[in-house]
Amino acid sequence: MLWMAGKVAVPQLTGLAIDRAIEVERSAWGWAVLIAAAGVVTGTFTALRRYVSFRESRLTETRLRERLLQHILGLHIGYHDRSQTGQLMSRASSDLNQVQMFVVMIPLTLSNLALIGVVVVMLFRTDPVLAVCALAPLPFVNLTARRFSGAIHPAVRRVQQEQAQLASVVEETVAGIRVVKGFGAERVQSTKLEREADDINLASLGAARVRATYLPFMELLPSIGLIAVLGIGGHRVLNGELTIGELVEFNFFVQLLVWPLRTIGMTVAFGQRAATALQRIDEVLDTVPEIVDPPTPARPSERVGAVSFDGVRFGYDRGAPVLEGFDLDIAPGTSVAIVGATGSGKSTLARLLVRFYDPQAGAVRLDGVDLRDLAVHDVRRSVGLVFEDTLLFHDTVAANIAFANPDADAATIRRAAELAGAADFVDDLPQGYDTILGERGFSLSGGQRQRIAIARALVSDPVVLILDDATSAVDPSKEHEIRAAMRTVMDGRTTIVIAHRPGTIAMADRVVLVDGGRVAASGTHDELLATEPRYRQVLAAAALGSDQDTPAGAARAGDG
Amino acid sequence: MWATNAVSEEDRLDREEARQVLRRAAALARPQRRLALATLGFVALSTSTTLVGPLLLRYGIDDGIRADDAGPLNVAIVAFVAVAVVAYVGSRQQYVFVNRAGEGFLRALRLRLFDHIQRQSLGFFDRNKAGVLVSRMTADIESMSELVQWGLLQFVSATLLLTFALVVLLLMSWQLTLLALLVVPFIVLASIKFQRNSNEAYLAVRERVGENLSSLQENIAGVRVIQAYVREPEQFRRFRRTNRALYDAHVHSVRVATWYFGVVEFFGVLATAIAIGMGGWLVQNGQVSVGTVVAVVLLLSSLFEPVQQLSQMYNTLQSATASLAKMFEILDTVPEIDERSDAVALPRTGTLDVDHVTFSYPGTTVPVLHDVLLTVAPGERLALVGPTGAGKSTLAKLIARLYDPGRGAVRFAGTDLRSATLASLRERVVVVPQEGFLFDGTIADNLRLARPEATDDELRQALRALDALDRFEAFPDGLATEVRERGSRLSAGERQLVSLARAALVDPAVLVLDEATSSLDPGTEALVEHALDRLMEGRTTIVVAHRLSTVQRADRVAVVDHGRLAELGTHDELMALGGRYAALAEAWARSQPV
Repeated sequence: MLWMAGKVAVPQLTGLAIDRAIEVERSAWGWAVLIAAAGVVTGTFTALRRYVSFRESRLTETRLRERLLQHILGLHIGYHDRSQTGQLMSRASSDLNQVQMFVVMIPLTLSNLALIGVVVVMLFRTDPVLAVCALAPLPFVNLTARRFSGAIHPAVRRVQQEQAQLASVVEETVAGIRVVKGFGAERVQSTKLEREADDINLASLGAARVRATYLPFMELLPSIGLIAVLGIGGHRVLNGELTIGELVEFNFFVQLLVWPLRTIGMTVAFGQRAATALQRIDEVLDTVPEIVDPPTPARPSERVGAVSFDGVRFGYDRGAPVLEGFDLDIAPGTSVAIVGATGSGKSTLARLLVRFYDPQAGAVRLDGVDLRDLAVHDVRRSVGLVFEDTLLFHDTVAANIAFANPDADAATIRRAAELAGAADFVDDLPQGYDTILGERGFSLSGGQRQRIAIARALVSDPVVLILDDATSAVDPSKEHEIRAAMRTVMDGRTTIVIAHRPGTIAMADRVVLVDGGRVAASGTHDELLATEPRYRQVLAAAALGSDQDTPAGAARAGDG
Repeated sequence: MWATNAVSEEDRLDREEARQVLRRAAALARPQRRLALATLGFVALSTSTTLVGPLLLRYGIDDGIRADDAGPLNVAIVAFVAVAVVAYVGSRQQYVFVNRAGEGFLRALRLRLFDHIQRQSLGFFDRNKAGVLVSRMTADIESMSELVQWGLLQFVSATLLLTFALVVLLLMSWQLTLLALLVVPFIVLASIKFQRNSNEAYLAVRERVGENLSSLQENIAGVRVIQAYVREPEQFRRFRRTNRALYDAHVHSVRVATWYFGVVEFFGVLATAIAIGMGGWLVQNGQVSVGTVVAVVLLLSSLFEPVQQLSQMYNTLQSATASLAKMFEILDTVPEIDERSDAVALPRTGTLDVDHVTFSYPGTTVPVLHDVLLTVAPGERLALVGPTGAGKSTLAKLIARLYDPGRGAVRFAGTDLRSATLASLRERVVVVPQEGFLFDGTIADNLRLARPEATDDELRQALRALDALDRFEAFPDGLATEVRERGSRLSAGERQLVSLARAALVDPAVLVLDEATSSLDPGTEALVEHALDRLMEGRTTIVVAHRLSTVQRADRVAVVDHGRLAELGTHDELMALGGRYAALAEAWARSQPV
C-alpha cells in the first residue's frame, strides 16, 4: 500500500508542482522536497516488495523440493523401475522453478492490480473523457503481453532443443573421433553439424519474429495513449478545461501503467505453465508407497537367518512372471550359490528378500515370519544386499563403507574393508579412508568399487548376506585374494551368492540352478557339473561373457 | 532479470587480452558488417520516439497551449503519430536484423570451431575432455549469443539515447540539466557496485544449484542402495543441508538486487524533484519555459535507463570475451597430424615397415614404445600380443597414423606415412575399433561414413561380402533402420558387423584391428567372427589379440612387452622357444571356459 502511495504520489506531486508553482511562477522547492520524500518512500517499498516476494517464493520452492525428495525416497522400487532418474530430476528442478517463477509474481501482480485500480480512479476523477482516451490502448498491452508470453515460450524452447541436437552431434563426434578420423569422415560430420547449425538459426529467427511481432507493438501502445493525451488533452487545456500540470500528470500515469500491465499479462502465461508443472509434481506426490510397514509389525525374539521362498510368483509390471512357484529353503548359517542364465530371475530373488517388491503369490519368510508382517527397516537391517552395479556416493571412503551405520568407528570400518579385500588399495589412495569418491571424486576401478560395496554390506553385520554378482568386475587374478576373506564373511552367516565364476560358486555349501522361474536342480558344484547338462551350458555361456585379464590400462589412455 | 552472465575470477581477462580478443572477433564478424550496419540504422529509428516525444510535447505546450494557438499543437500531434509509426517499423526490423547478423556470426563460428576440432590429432582429444569440447561448442557460444543478440543492441541504443538525450537536454536548458545530472554519479556507482556484488552472488547461486542437483541426482539414482540400507532419514537430512544452502544463496542474491533497485528508483525521483524545484526557480526568473521544464522532467527518465544498462553491459562483455578467449585457444591449436603441402598419394599395395620407432604420448616423458622394428608383407596377418600397457594398442595406432612416432618412421610401400595425403592414407589403412561405434542415424548413414558417395548397391555389396546382409535386410526398415544414439537399437554384435562393413566399403590394403576383450552373445559371436575372417582375406592385417584362437590363425605373432618387441615368429616357433609367448598361451588356455 505504501509502495503504491509512493508510486502514485510522484506524478501527482509533479503535476501539482507545475500547476501551483511553476505555471504561476512561484518557488517550487517545497514541492521538490515533497517529491523527493515520495521518492524515499517508493525506493524503500519497491525494494521491500521485491525482497519479500522473492524470498517467499524461494522458500516455497525450497520446502516443496524437500517434500518431493522425501516422498521419492519413500516410494517403492517398482515405481523407480518405471520412472527415469532424469524425469524425477526435472520434477524437482525445472518444474519447481516454473512454480517459483509464478509464486514470485503473485504478490507483485496483486500490488500491480491495486496500483492500476488507483491510477484509473484518479485519472477518471481528473478528467473522465481524457482518461478513457488515454487508457483505451492500455488493455491491449496486457493482452499482447499475454499472447507474447504464450508464443515466445515454445519458440525459445525450440531454440534450446535445436541447441541440444547440435550438442549431441558434437558429443558424438568427439566420443567417436577414432572412427571419424579412421575413415576420414570429418566432412560427413561437418555436414551434419552444418544442418544442426542451420536449424538453430532458423529456430532463433523464429523466436526473433515472435519478438518483432509483439514487442514493438507493446511499445507502440503507450505512445498511442500519450498521443491521445497530447491531442485531446492539449485542446482541452486550450479550452481551459484542464491544466498543464494535469496534462503532465496524465503523461506520467500512462507510462506508469505500462509495466504493471505487461507483467500481469506475463503472469497469466506463467500461471498456465506453473499449473502444468504443479500437476506433474502432484503426480509424484500422489503416488502412494506400496511397500509399507504393517499396522502391527511382528517382533521375533532373535534372528538366526532362516530364509524360505514358498511358492513365490513374481513378475515385473504386467510382464510374464519371472518366478513361478519358486520354493527354496536355506538353513541358518549356510551358504547357497544361485546359478542361472541371464533373465532367469536370480537378481529378483535378492530383491524380494530385501522387500523391494512383494510376491504376487506365495511368501518370502525370514525365520518363519512373512516379510510383509515385519517392519520394513527391520527386514532391511537384517538382510544385507551387495548389488551387481555398485553405486558409491560422493563422500569419503569411510563414509561410503559406514553407509548402513553412520556411527561405526574407524576400527569397524577398517575391519570391514579388510574382510572385503579393500584395505590394501584404500591405504594406497591419496587420502586413505578420507579420499572422496563418486562422480566428482576419485574414480575407482569396477573391481575396487565392488569391494567397497562388500565392505559397506559387512558394516551393517547382517544376519543374511546376499552377494548379487558382486565380484563380477573384480579381476580374476585378484578374486582369489578376496575369496579367503569371503570365506570368513560367510562363516556362520546365511549367505546367498549369485555368481557365475566356478571358483566363487564352489565356495558355497550348496548350488541351486534356477531355470524357468523355479529351482531346476540343487546340489554341490561338482554334482551338478557331473549330472546336469543345463548347468554346464549356463556356466559356459557365462564364462564366454566374462572378461579375461585385461583391465583398462595406461596404454589405452583415452580409449573410447 | 539481472546478472545472468557471471564470470568467475579465473576466467576474467585483463584489459589488453580483452581488447585483442574483441579485435579478432570483429575480424571474424566482417561478413556480417552490412547486416550490422542495417541493424544500427533500425536501432536509431526505434530509439527516436523516446527522444522526440518529449520534444514534441514541449513544442505543443509552449508554442501551442501557452500561446493559445491550436496550430502548433496539431503539428506536434501529427508529428508524434509519424514518429511513433516510424519507431514501430524500425523496432520490428531491428529484432529480425540483429538476429540475422548475430546468428550468422555464431553459425560461422560454430562451423569453424567444429572443423578445427575435427582436424586435431588424437593427442588433443586425450588432453581435452569431451565435456569441455562440447561446452565450447554450446555453452560458450550461447554466452556470446547473449552479447551478440542483446548486448550490442542494448549498447548501441543506450549510447544513442544517452548522447541524444544529453545534447537535447543541454540545448534546452543547461542549468536544469546539469543540476539534475548531479544524481548520475550515484546511479553509476550503485550500478557498478551492484554488478560486482551480483556477480559474486550469482556465482554462489550457480555453485549451490550444482551441488543441489548432484545431491538430488545421487539420491534418486541411488534410491535402491539407500532403501536397502535404511538410510532414508540420513540422506534426507544431508539433502536438506544443501537445499537450505541454496535457499540462503538465493536470498542473498535477492538482497543484493533489492538494494540496488530501491536506490535507483529513489535517485530517479530525486532527479525529478531537483528538476521541478530548479525549474520553478528558473521559470520565475524567466530563464526557461514551462514546456522546457516538462520536457526535461520527461527526458530525465530516458537518461537513467541507458546509464543503468550501460553499467550492466560490463558483465555481458566480460563473460563473452572469456568465452571468446577459450575458443580462440582451440582455434590457435595447430593439429599435430596434418597433411604436408607436398604430400603424395600412397600406392595401392606394399609392405608395411615399422622402422626403429620410439614413441611417448604427448605431455608425458615415459616412452611407450622403444625402438620397434617390424616388417609386414602384403597380405600377412600379424597378431600383437602382450600384457596390458605393453604398448601393442599404441603400435597399432601408429600404423594407422593416429599418432606420429617420436623417432623412426612408419612406411607403407616405402612411403613415410607423414608424407602421404591423409585421404589416401585413410583409404589404405583402416582401423576397426574394439567395439562398433555407431552414430545417430540409419544403418546406411553409418556405413556411408566411410564413403559418403557410396550407392545403396555398394552398401549392400559390402555387407554381402561379409555374409552379413541377411541379418540387416531382415529388419522391417532394412538398411534404413534408425540405430539411435550410439546404435542402442542394435545388439553389440550387430554394431560390430556394421563397423566391419564400414571397413569393407573402403576396401583398404591394411586392416588394423583391436580385438574386443569381452565376448558377444554366442549367436552373433560366430557371425562376427566369420565376417572378420572374410574382411581379412587378402589384406595385410595387424590385430591386437586377446584370444588364443585369434593368435593361432595369424601368420606371425609379435610379443610386445614394456614397449619393446620381445618375440617375433609363428605360433609354433614361439611355443618351441618357450619364452613369454609360451607362458602367455599357457595362461590363456587355462582361463578358457569349460
